Amino acid sequence: MQKNNNTKPVISLKGLHKEFKTLNRREGLKGGLLDLFSRNYKTVKAVNGLSFDIQPGEIVGLLGPNGAGKSTAIKMMSGVLKPSGGEILVNGVIPYNNRIKNAQNIGVVFGQRSQLWWALPLVESLKLLKDIYMIEDKHYNQMFDLYKTILGASESENGGEECRLDSLLKKPVRQMSLGQRTLSDILASFLHNPKVVFLDEPTIGLDVMMKAKIRELVLELNRIRNTTVILTTHDIGDVDALCERVIIIDKGAILYDNSLDNLKSFFGAYRTLKIKYNKDEEWVDFLINEDESSVMDKLAEIEKTNKIADIKIEEISTESVIKKIYEGEVKSS
Amino acid sequence: MKKRSIIWYLRIYIKIITQDIKVKLNYRADFVISNFAQILHHISGFIVFWLIFQNFPSVDGWDYYEMLFFYGFSLIAFTPTQCLLENNWSLPWQVRSGDFIKYCFRPINTFFYYISEVFDTKGFGQLVAGIVVLAFAWLRLEIAFSFITLALLILMLSAAGIFMAAMLNLAASTIFWTKGFGLMEFVVRFRDYSRYPITIFSGFLRYLFTFAIPMAFISYYPSLMFLRPDQVPILTWLSPLIGIAFFALSYFAWMKGAKSYSGTGS
Amino acid sequence: MKIKKYTTILRAGMLDMFQWRMSLFITFLGNIVYLVVIYNLWQAIYASSPYDTVNGMTFTDTMLYLVLAMTIFNMTETYVVGSMGRHIQDGSMILNLIKPMEYRTITFFEILGADIISFCMIFVPTFIIVSIITGFAIPLGVNLLLFLPALLFARVISYYIDFFVGTICLYTESTWGINMAKEVLVLLMSGAVIPLAFFPDWLRQVAEFLPFQAIYNIPLQIMLGQVTTFETLPMFGVQLFWIGVMYVISGVFWKQSIKTITINGG
Repeated sequence: MQKNNNTKPVISLKGLHKEFKTLNRREGLKGGLLDLFSRNYKTVKAVNGLSFDIQPGEIVGLLGPNGAGKSTAIKMMSGVLKPSGGEILVNGVIPYNNRIKNAQNIGVVFGQRSQLWWALPLVESLKLLKDIYMIEDKHYNQMFDLYKTILGASESENGGEECRLDSLLKKPVRQMSLGQRTLSDILASFLHNPKVVFLDEPTIGLDVMMKAKIRELVLELNRIRNTTVILTTHDIGDVDALCERVIIIDKGAILYDNSLDNLKSFFGAYRTLKIKYNKDEEWVDFLINEDESSVMDKLAEIEKTNKIADIKIEEISTESVIKKIYEGEVKSS
Repeated sequence: MKKRSIIWYLRIYIKIITQDIKVKLNYRADFVISNFAQILHHISGFIVFWLIFQNFPSVDGWDYYEMLFFYGFSLIAFTPTQCLLENNWSLPWQVRSGDFIKYCFRPINTFFYYISEVFDTKGFGQLVAGIVVLAFAWLRLEIAFSFITLALLILMLSAAGIFMAAMLNLAASTIFWTKGFGLMEFVVRFRDYSRYPITIFSGFLRYLFTFAIPMAFISYYPSLMFLRPDQVPILTWLSPLIGIAFFALSYFAWMKGAKSYSGTGS
Repeated sequence: MKIKKYTTILRAGMLDMFQWRMSLFITFLGNIVYLVVIYNLWQAIYASSPYDTVNGMTFTDTMLYLVLAMTIFNMTETYVVGSMGRHIQDGSMILNLIKPMEYRTITFFEILGADIISFCMIFVPTFIIVSIITGFAIPLGVNLLLFLPALLFARVISYYIDFFVGTICLYTESTWGINMAKEVLVLLMSGAVIPLAFFPDWLRQVAEFLPFQAIYNIPLQIMLGQVTTFETLPMFGVQLFWIGVMYVISGVFWKQSIKTITINGG
């Protein structure tokens, strides 16, 4: 992950906001009839003054509870949604006013919705994309070699899904598992060497092996091609593996925007006390704020009523950090 | 970055639909059955006309072969729409589920990308049926045939085809505004009624079905070029131009709807 | 206890259909358009004949017959086949087999619930409008009461035919084609696109051997008061006969299909 703070940001948002007018549906049969004659609208502020700059090559996690406005922000950055106000520049163009030009420089992947041609073998889909994005032969072959290197190296582990490039290429998307589909979508999204790739919940619904594979793929592609990646996810594993910086959004506004390390150090006083009551059981976690009480006190309290087989003391987990931010316990950077 | 020209779009279009046709031909049974069912559907239409004329002498002064002419002509006019714009029928479902948004992320025209996805191979059956019925009627009516009539035939069929396409597009564009419910059903109905001469209607209705919902241009007016060559109405001559204008309108309506679409969820 | 299970499903079917009331309204509007077109078309047709009554049918008879037949057709005619096709394709069919009640019966009550709503929202309004337009040509008496069971029986026959067709779709992997072929056959041979009275004798005899006329012809004849109350009894008998036949046929094919599904894992 290379960061160069002297270059122009690849994405720049200033005070971006978006309002939606939604129909206030009245209840019941009477309400339904009334709705036909007098419509009652309410305005929902989906995005409320977002501002941030993203430098080339960053992998940024865009986090937030459902309904926070993440998808809306991504849609505005990819040019399919018109902002209500504020400024937005992606690769130096205003996305909504230059949809086609913007689309040439970005890639988009949706976790559970493939954008590839359903019945075609992957290789045919990629060939069509080559034509659509007007990719030069030389570059196309380069990317193929790159993909082969990254994916071909990994043998199919016991019980793991087949991820080798040559076997994936022959499969129609409709015959692929969810993990293979997502993998294919990611390959397709990087093919034309976009400056930015948006990944919307890419690992949702996937098993552990597949998640690891996808994270590995994204990291490699980011490293080799310096592609900026914006990742929305609810999976903390994704955040830990990929993101150096996180932007946390709720109700359309930024709660936090800084590096993941900084975030954890905010909660420097927190410790996770992990306890095993029995050798064969799972770890049970206790989150302790050392500014308010001590780990030793908690341990003593537990020992009064339980036997303890094993203990560990760790930093606060990313998950707990995020949870605390959702609960409003942090000031923004 | 090279600009994407019309020729470029044409070449890509052929590449994409070639792929879809290949996939469809793979499902041999479905291909055969669907085309067979399509032809059966039109044989049934033929039988209906035959039955009517077994019991009655004419329809508003139009005789058996003239009615068949209108019918066959309309079938050929539907074919481009059937083959090329078939994806429009999936629009209600895709708009409601949010899937439609995926068509907006490519650096190419959204309408083009959307309709290039599907080529309906059932259109072959319809084309065959239409040509057979039209040829049959043409021969029985002993209409003259020359290079000029051929050129005019192609022109009129194209105009009729454009009207049908425009009607489907326009109906589909409303799906964006109504969030997935729609007027698509009406397209099927008007398509089926376009085989009847507009003269059965009078006054307001005739006006409605000519200018508001141009059903009359899908078969009636273009056909008159051949059925009444001595008294070709002005509207027949104008139909190609009106058709293009109408199609342009439908295209812009569709694109406007697509641009305003933002998917479901937050 | 058992009754309660069925009524719950019935209610579920009704609620489900009620969600689609916008579509139902549009279908109703479509019926009105059909009414207008048929009215004008057949007026033109009858105008060409020197007689007011042809083969026992006056203009009003014909018009009523065709419009009401189309209205019956619109009541979830293709719902079953499409739904089955989808269940098979997305694999949820296997889930349906696990449920504690017979799949055919469950679906039947769902459809019946949907039909009830369709009847109220499409058939009744269309009926009223058609009555008004023809100057109340439809007799309002016992015939209407007798019409209801006839319609119910008709729907049952139609349901089991659809079910049977649905099982064929499983073998051919072709939903649209088979369904279209069925629709064409049903609409033509039941008199729904052109009254059986206009068929030549030999064809009419063929039609009378098929179950399709029991779906449209019988209920409509009863409703339009073309038969005496006494004569309706053997007609019900014919309908019940066809219900039995289709029940058995669809049962045979269904058991075969279950075997195929359970072997191939949905």
